[in-house]
Amino acid sequence: MKESDVVVIGGGLAGLTAAAVSASRGKKVTLLAKGAGTLAFGGGSIDLLGYCGEQPVNNPLQAIDNLTTEHPYRIVGTEQVRQAVDFFIALCRQEGYALEGSINHTMWLPTVVGTLKPSSLVPRSMNPNGLKQASTIVIVNFTGLKDFYPKMVVQGLSRLTGANKNYLEAIVETNLPGSRDITVLDVARWLDTSEGQQSFIEQLQSAITPDVWVLVPPVLGTRPNYQVWEHLQTTLRCRLLELVAPPPAITGSRLRSLLVRYVKKLGVKVVEQSNVTHAICDNGHCQAVVTHNVGREHAYFARSFILATGGILGGGLIASPGKVTEPIFGLPVEVPSSGFTWGDTDLFAAGGQPFARIGIKADSSLRPLDAVGRVLLTNVHVAGNMLAHYDYPQEKSGNGVALVSGYHAALSAEGGER
Amino acid sequence: MIKRSSIDQCTGCTSCVIECPVTAATREFRGPKLVGPALERFRLFANDSEASLEYCTNCKTCDITCPSNVPVSTLNMLAKAAYYKKHGHKLRDWVLAHNGLFAKLASPVALLANFGISNAITQKILSAIGIAERPLPVYAASNFYRQFKKFKQQAFKNKVVFYPGCYIGYNDPQVGMDLVTIMQANQYEVIVPDIICCGTPIVSNGYIELAEEHARHNITEIKRYVDQGYPVLTACTSCGLMLKQEYLELFNIDGAAEVAAHHYEASEFLLELYDQGVLNIKFTAMPGKYLYHAPCHMRAQGIGLPSLELLSLIPGLSIAEADAGCCGIAGSYGFKKEKYDVAMKIGQPLFEKVITSSPDAVVTECGTCRLQIEYATKAKTVHPLSLLRAAYH
Repeated sequence: MKESDVVVIGGGLAGLTAAAVSASRGKKVTLLAKGAGTLAFGGGSIDLLGYCGEQPVNNPLQAIDNLTTEHPYRIVGTEQVRQAVDFFIALCRQEGYALEGSINHTMWLPTVVGTLKPSSLVPRSMNPNGLKQASTIVIVNFTGLKDFYPKMVVQGLSRLTGANKNYLEAIVETNLPGSRDITVLDVARWLDTSEGQQSFIEQLQSAITPDVWVLVPPVLGTRPNYQVWEHLQTTLRCRLLELVAPPPAITGSRLRSLLVRYVKKLGVKVVEQSNVTHAICDNGHCQAVVTHNVGREHAYFARSFILATGGILGGGLIASPGKVTEPIFGLPVEVPSSGFTWGDTDLFAAGGQPFARIGIKADSSLRPLDAVGRVLLTNVHVAGNMLAHYDYPQEKSGNGVALVSGYHAALSAEGGER
Repeated sequence: MIKRSSIDQCTGCTSCVIECPVTAATREFRGPKLVGPALERFRLFANDSEASLEYCTNCKTCDITCPSNVPVSTLNMLAKAAYYKKHGHKLRDWVLAHNGLFAKLASPVALLANFGISNAITQKILSAIGIAERPLPVYAASNFYRQFKKFKQQAFKNKVVFYPGCYIGYNDPQVGMDLVTIMQANQYEVIVPDIICCGTPIVSNGYIELAEEHARHNITEIKRYVDQGYPVLTACTSCGLMLKQEYLELFNIDGAAEVAAHHYEASEFLLELYDQGVLNIKFTAMPGKYLYHAPCHMRAQGIGLPSLELLSLIPGLSIAEADAGCCGIAGSYGFKKEKYDVAMKIGQPLFEKVITSSPDAVVTECGTCRLQIEYATKAKTVHPLSLLRAAYH
């Protein structure tokens, strides 16, 4: 019988982080992934904690103490949060895509709709440090690019970072052939090529004076490195900044390809297209999880399991009228008693949307708990958006909780009980 | 069969658009999300025309990437067939869809046939009907079925059914014979049923009804052995995916689920023997540096990369995963004149990887992947079973 030390279910940020932690500590890891995870199309910045309620957070690490005791950060503890972030920073640096920022400080990232989004760790090409002091800001658009309006960026930014700046607009023609709409993906692929880079430089050279800030949608290459960004910035002698954008934001895809490459390098066995249907458990102990696509079932045995299949959006939790289920282990999910109280008719309600906090309750080792707080499975650890009692859209803590809980789940899973 | 309601699972997350190798290579293709689930909603009430469907290679990267279980590629194949029904087929596509038939006809006169397709006049004709000017697969002088018939197998209680498919059957029979030798070394007897082309090129060229005829024939032939409990092995990952998944997604055929449930990729089966502790592992050391390219249709099967694990068991052999995406050939796709550039562009990251890592050979199951890699990089390629077979010396 084939057995891993750890089987991780889920290939998003939580699952990949867990796999990276376990494998870097010498464990034999199998990662079962279905789909590329919400990481692939997300923003790719690591938002730790941007808001407590409606209150903006300046120091995420300190603000953790203000969260409810059931919040994932409180469950794992401040020290673990710090270690998880350190691990992740070291990993990205080692892989040639160093992130900037700190756990003690909130950065406000400008977005394509002219708002500011709080975050903690970002790629160098998204670090806005110094933007406030800039006197001239050039916003670059690309002919035919969908969903990007420089005027909106100017309107928002002039309200937020002071109106007394000189805002300029420039437009770059990509001359991309073909009939479909131009997205940031197309432009990023164009800028992967040296012809694209050369053309970008030539078209902007006259519009840019040294030391201005140049804001672009996330288009500076598809790969997790800074070659495109550095080359363009150095040649144009400006500060080049990628704005936060809605899906498909190439920034999340860069981070994902870095992590997948990293875990494979460490020998993690990645099984794509793994539709995990159920688990074989006995007396509160999981022996194996079983995949079934079309065809035949496959059982994956391990000492410990990390469940990181996502929330309702990622498919880890299935919502239907009146109830939410977790389909693999059948873990209990507590929901507000009446379906009418799951949501607030005010989309951006002060208290957040109640359904956002729906999830699996866990103990200090992130093992799933029943309604009265008893551990249901001794060698299963839950990570990521499946966890209950936090509201990532409102807190701006999505990737933060994913990586912290993935890290903690991996450490907790060591030497899983038999 | 797939449920059309599965399109409602699509949240429009764009995951498939990010990963689609065709979308990355050409802006003529409007992308898997748009031509698949998004347009399917319109096709439910109107006969919609989306010509860029023909760019879809059916590589299934979209299915692998989708977090919501939408069978994007199969929706595309069904829509493609409906499109051609209305707009008509090219002669060229008919030719490519029937490659199994041509192989069967050409095989007894393989040398003549090879000359026939490689000479300048035929090349001109093929080019005129829209076939790219690149070397076509060569027919083997003695096909697999003839060699297998001649081969004296030792009788064993354990038996497996082997589905060779067209490429191993007529172009590269040695891979099939290598599998027979490996199975014999593991005390298995091999049965080869009376099968025809699985239908992969037929589906991707839009002839769904013909593909169903093929599926019915193959399932009937294989099912009689499955009823006796024998596992069914393939060594071409596209044939494998067709038997285990696409027959079930596309058609409603009695026995298809049973066949699917007994299907194994050959390397998957051997790895399972190893996990049970019964694989013959008296391998000779084979020092060498190899690069493994996972065919898209292996990735889509959800069984990991068994060949990579299996070959790692050979002493001295070092093998790494290329992990550089699709090679671009997609069966008959890269042989189409107007798709040639797209196919070569899709494979570019893989070709670069092959060239920079300069292995002794690139290892991959898929026959047309091997043709494409050899053509684009001049590297040697080998089927994993042939490497394994060599280690049994």
